[in-house]
Amino acid sequence: MPVTSNAAAQAAPAAVSQRGRGALIGAGVLALALLPLVAGASPYMLGLLISALILSGLALSWALLGNLGGMVSFGHAAFFGVGAYGSALLAGKLGMPVLLAIPLGGLIATVFSLAMLPALRLSGPYFALAILAYAQIFRILATELDWLTGGAAGLQRYPGLPTVLGFNLADRAGSYVLVLACVVVFALVYMALRRSHVGTALRAIADSEDATRVVGVNATVLKTWMLLLSAFIAGVFGALNAHIIGFLEPDYAFSGIWSVMPIIAAVFGGYRSVLGPIFGAVVIYLFDQVIAKSLIPVGHQILLGIVLAIMVLLAPNGLSGLVARFLPRLAGRSLSNAEKGHA
Amino acid sequence: MTELILQALFSGVLIGSVYALVALGLALAFGAMRIINLAHGELVLLAAYMAYLVESRTGLDPYFAIPLALVVVAAASFVLFLLVDRIKDHRELNSLILTFAIGIILTNAILLVFASDVRTTASPFLQDAVSLGDLFAMRSEIIAFVLSLVLMGALWWWLKSSWYGRAVRAVSSNRGAAKLMGINPTRIETVSFLVAGALASFAGVALYTMSVVQPATGHALTVKAFIITVLAGVGSIPGVFLGAVLLGVTEALTVTLASSALQELAGMVLFLLVLFLMPNGLFGARARRG
Repeated sequence: MPVTSNAAAQAAPAAVSQRGRGALIGAGVLALALLPLVAGASPYMLGLLISALILSGLALSWALLGNLGGMVSFGHAAFFGVGAYGSALLAGKLGMPVLLAIPLGGLIATVFSLAMLPALRLSGPYFALAILAYAQIFRILATELDWLTGGAAGLQRYPGLPTVLGFNLADRAGSYVLVLACVVVFALVYMALRRSHVGTALRAIADSEDATRVVGVNATVLKTWMLLLSAFIAGVFGALNAHIIGFLEPDYAFSGIWSVMPIIAAVFGGYRSVLGPIFGAVVIYLFDQVIAKSLIPVGHQILLGIVLAIMVLLAPNGLSGLVARFLPRLAGRSLSNAEKGHA
Repeated sequence: MTELILQALFSGVLIGSVYALVALGLALAFGAMRIINLAHGELVLLAAYMAYLVESRTGLDPYFAIPLALVVVAAASFVLFLLVDRIKDHRELNSLILTFAIGIILTNAILLVFASDVRTTASPFLQDAVSLGDLFAMRSEIIAFVLSLVLMGALWWWLKSSWYGRAVRAVSSNRGAAKLMGINPTRIETVSFLVAGALASFAGVALYTMSVVQPATGHALTVKAFIITVLAGVGSIPGVFLGAVLLGVTEALTVTLASSALQELAGMVLFLLVLFLMPNGLFGARARRG
């Protein structure tokens, strides 16, 4: 891939693309905020939407590693599970306030991801499979270390989300707003990162790692930061989920679902954009839970597999790629610039 | 205690020989196309369920399912090749995701057709124990071991002596040069996938006779095959066999000395140790660092 292909995208007027992107984000957040109203705000529907947004956050963290770091992870369940257990144990055993325990849960996931640093030296499939091995190891550890984690029986004596300034985060509407706020914050962080020098350097690494090293960019350090940040985000959403559902067991917290679903969601939505994984997750999760499960109660994931295969083959840039292609005037300018930058 | 350990070593070697067949299929497809086929374990699983289908429907010995398994799995492998071949951009990453998706589809298709129950052979002949001195094995394990050795020998001969086998090696080592020598790479890649499918067929039927299968087994087999290629590299058949036996023995010893819950963990830890400490594999194969 010629390095010069980047130059054209870099030269695009930043102001235009930023304003376009800002409008898109605003519209997106508004749409997500209003979704419960449209959905009728039944407790069942709100519950589904909360889970969908948890998945949005996880898909965002997966896409950040895939897009900026250039690494495919088949083991994001490791971070998700560690964040969940970390936060639940801090709040349950040490009595820490839940709203403090959640970011610390993310931090614990980050610390655990340090153990994966040797894997960063590995290329493509070796990294992907090494991280899958980590996820398995953590699941088994959570089962075996029962003095700490409660073992296979699980963990349920830990507090849920608190009431803040008279606003009860534990009820469904409160949880929804909190999770949505977290998704928005991390999306903004991701965007800022992509626009920064770090983002430019990472795009250059994706084009040619050797050429980038030659001009003095330390590719390994930058990739390390992306892994740590991705682990943190995944851990935070794992922690949020843990306090919302109020029950953890190893086979749930480290389930392969948490590795598979973000991949499907991010690829479906377009993992090279910021909004793609977020909306991809909402669409994919609702499709899976509402439509696929009622069509095929056992084995409904076959439909997700088919969706994933079709997207990779026909639209590898996902929904956001399709939007950029078919709505170039309305919404595409910023997105298509981003696409070009990575093509 | 010594007897238990010796027995574990023996069982590990027997199951390892079948793991070697699975890993060789993965290595063939990797050699030809430079992609990791994450649906390879599911191809093996498909063959195992063909054996279950034939045995449960006709009452015949599961080994009679081999022709059916060969046809079904080779067809699946061919379709998989056609799909992977369509990917042009970001080939390494997108082919990983695509084969992963096909694995999900196959696992769930098997789940839909055959339910999630654990299956194994009902044949008393195959399950009969035979003793070799102090060591015991099921008859099916001995048959599978011999079958695996014969197939590995055949594969070795094919790669070394036949025109197609040599073409496969030529494409693996230098695609451009092979093309200049009048080899059609797409055709050779197709042949590699078909041979990988054939190996998966035998491995699947053998696995069904000597172990238990369920829909989730496919994914676990892919991971095992990948661990073996990390241990051994993809270069040589004896290397892959040794790597596979090492994995089989590690698993068997873990079950004997610790608990069966830790069986998977042992394989993973072995994998990570080799990956980080000896990144070129135990036998110094190609470099794999980025």
